[in-house]
Amino acid sequence: MERLAKAAIERGLALGASYVDARVERIASETLVVRNDRLNEVSAREEFGLAVRALVGGAFGFAAAPLSLDDAGAALALADRAVALARVLAPARTRPVELSEESAAVGEYRTPVAIDPFALRDAEKLEPLRAACAELGKRPEVSVREASFACRSRVQWFASSEGAAFHQELVRTGGGIAATAAASGEVATRSWPASFGGDHQPGGFERVLEFDLLGHAPRVRDEAVELCAAPPCEAGRRDLILASNLLMLVIHETVGHATELDRALGCEADLAGHSFATVDKRGSLLYGSPWVELVADSLAQGGLDTRGIDDEGVRSQRWPLVHAGRFVDFQSSREWASALEARKSHGGARAQSWYHPPIVRITNVSLEPGAWDLDALIADTADGIVCDGVKMWSIDEARRNFQFTAELGWEVRGGKRARLVRTPTFTGDTLDFWRACDAVCDASHFRMWGVTNCGKGNPIQEAEMSHGASPARFRGVRFLAG
Amino acid sequence: MTLFSREEALALAREIVAESPAAETEVTVESTVDRFVRYAHVGPTQSADRERVDVAIRVRVVRPGGVGEARAEASTLERATLEHTLAHALELAEAGVAPDELVPLGGPVEVAESRAAPATLAHGFEAKADAVRRAVARAGEHGLEPAGLYETCATARALVNSRGREVFGETSRASFSLVASSATSSGFADTIASDVTALDVDGAIERAVDDALRSRDPRPIEPGTYEVVLAPHAASALLLFFAYEGFSARSFEERTSFLTDRVGELLVSERFTLFDDARDPRNPGWLFDGEGTPRERLLLFDRGRAQPPVSDRAHARSTGGRSTGHAVAQPSSQGPLPQNLVVQAGDATLDELIGRIERGLYVTQLHYVNTIEPHELVLTGVIRHAAWLVEKGKLVAPVAGLRFTDGLVRALADLRGVGAKVERAGALFDGEVATPALHLGSLHFTSSTRGA
Repeated sequence: MERLAKAAIERGLALGASYVDARVERIASETLVVRNDRLNEVSAREEFGLAVRALVGGAFGFAAAPLSLDDAGAALALADRAVALARVLAPARTRPVELSEESAAVGEYRTPVAIDPFALRDAEKLEPLRAACAELGKRPEVSVREASFACRSRVQWFASSEGAAFHQELVRTGGGIAATAAASGEVATRSWPASFGGDHQPGGFERVLEFDLLGHAPRVRDEAVELCAAPPCEAGRRDLILASNLLMLVIHETVGHATELDRALGCEADLAGHSFATVDKRGSLLYGSPWVELVADSLAQGGLDTRGIDDEGVRSQRWPLVHAGRFVDFQSSREWASALEARKSHGGARAQSWYHPPIVRITNVSLEPGAWDLDALIADTADGIVCDGVKMWSIDEARRNFQFTAELGWEVRGGKRARLVRTPTFTGDTLDFWRACDAVCDASHFRMWGVTNCGKGNPIQEAEMSHGASPARFRGVRFLAG
Repeated sequence: MTLFSREEALALAREIVAESPAAETEVTVESTVDRFVRYAHVGPTQSADRERVDVAIRVRVVRPGGVGEARAEASTLERATLEHTLAHALELAEAGVAPDELVPLGGPVEVAESRAAPATLAHGFEAKADAVRRAVARAGEHGLEPAGLYETCATARALVNSRGREVFGETSRASFSLVASSATSSGFADTIASDVTALDVDGAIERAVDDALRSRDPRPIEPGTYEVVLAPHAASALLLFFAYEGFSARSFEERTSFLTDRVGELLVSERFTLFDDARDPRNPGWLFDGEGTPRERLLLFDRGRAQPPVSDRAHARSTGGRSTGHAVAQPSSQGPLPQNLVVQAGDATLDELIGRIERGLYVTQLHYVNTIEPHELVLTGVIRHAAWLVEKGKLVAPVAGLRFTDGLVRALADLRGVGAKVERAGALFDGEVATPALHLGSLHFTSSTRGA
């Protein structure tokens, strides 16, 4: 693999490129879905391809194709095409690409895996799904019950003309259960450990076993049925206590995307949008309350974007995005880092696969734990709603105005959990929201949650990352009528 | 690289089917050529000259305990890898053996063979770079920041199964887009066609720049209920939810669709007719689905009256026992989907639609629309790019963004006018709709995106 990558690099340099990198990638995935007790999807996929990126005359060209191990000619042809493309595009650049100075990464990284999900017999992977699905169906109101498993392995060989040579094997495994009940003229869905296909963690099948799908199935089933009969959430301003499985998505949308440097510089405006957190606000903007510490960390334990290097060879790192409530830094790549005085990439350039050019992506971004116990936080709340699970989300192109709907809400009255409410929908402004955060629970409540389908770029690419959080309270949040 | 020829693709698919020991086998072979340049104020920011092949093998095994079905895919033509892919599919199918009844794979069908536009397939980077230069320069003349994409893509697909079904087709798509932004406004325009020679790149550049300039310094506006005219891109962002959520036979059978118990009812205005038709040149697509079944042209709303959903072979009972040809690749946890929605044109010009509003809004695009509640298709999303306050039939002032939260079915029940000009328009997520501008009697805006 390394031989093919290096052959492409040498060819690109010989053709006049000032910088070349190459990624050989083998990607394997498997999906099992049991729906209404029937094995609804059994699928597997393997990809093997090469991507070559060449910098010529201040412009990048990128070429990619499926790869045969014995076809060095194809690797050279891709280098030819990447260089040719860069030459065509260079005159259209109004400013040449400047790459930040980085040390060449040499080494390897492997996700720790206890039970290899690809080596495990399929029957063993199906057993917990079938058992949980059957349990979900033990109430007639449940019309749709689903249990799913998915795993993905991404093996990369990265090399660059600056001497980088890195091999990494990233593995993630996950799954979950969901019950949709139809009763009392209403339809409600409840899931575990997360909605929309469950949660995904770095590692092997041990992660799915830790989810204890069967153990949680009775609660998930019963809550789905109870939600159908629950009153809708009332409109008004209330205190919001966010469970970490929903807070993680709020972090993703209002902090993760908002602090992507390419977005702040206007280079994502054609699709996902821009950001209110512009370069001139770094160091001065009050993003949140003093309790808000938001950290980017591609070294974090339990992160789907925990790895050795990014897709342009910059080593993984940890750095603050929001410190004591103040906006202090961006997520960046080598090209866009030149817009900041530090001129160092945070290693945020990633591609969905060999088929895609790297772009600035969110890494693992987490809210640091505070000091509160969850029971104490609820006891301290006079009029609030605990929101749990993701049902819906939407945010504007500047990452300011958002709206989220939770799967389930618990009203809190006088410091006690009162009644269940359905369709709790809250809306707000990113800065007002984080500034209204007055309590974050302690590390005993902290958990990382995986995101496997983050969309960005044009044409759109998917990326994976995790967000960690403990439950937190936000004062005076506006709820819409459910 | 060029696309696989019909003969190459069918031959490879036939070969794998012949080698498979499974009771039933279906093989899909696909090749794609894609070239794009993405750009911003610095000129080209990302680009790709790329191709891929995808081979999907679907097998069914019959054992004493029942039937097992699985799919395995590989992005290669290497024989050794494809043999492994077939073996993997068989292994997965064995693991899934259960006493289920599966609808047999479909037999021979006649499907017209669609072709990629040769000009799109041949379109190179010089012309793309030239268009990018024009867009960047034109925006720069007015102090606007540009961002956009120029892409040409073509795909060939063959499907062969062990019951004698053999189909082949090609598609192509070319698109150019520009978002032009000032400090207080932005304008978006794109042009999409199967044949790159049909694109109106300079027209799109002018429209985006014009909208950005005319919508500068918007005035704040209170959330509330407004009469609206939605331009095609705003309308498509809503109408795509009929595809994502509503007209699938699976959600219909599972009673989570807005169609549940409502087929045949006058659910929305009689002015609204929606159909799905892969042959319509305004929003063309594959002429066969993920199982090789010919795609039918289906009415989904017939002058306001809800029609049955789209189906695949597994959900054919919802459509009179036959598949309508809307399957995704099988087996899948996803149900059938309409993918080529077209709204029947009305007879009003855009100016006439706006001219009928006493006080309301003209919205060019809606962004990040998502579903809160599927039974009434309650959606939320935000106004993006140019929007104007309309008073006494005239655009009187650009307005700042608002968030809407409202039911799509409810809103379309008060559809007051349909434009005459149909445009192919997409949204943030997948899919496109060919739709004219729509005039809605009301849409409920719940917050301002300029400070909630």
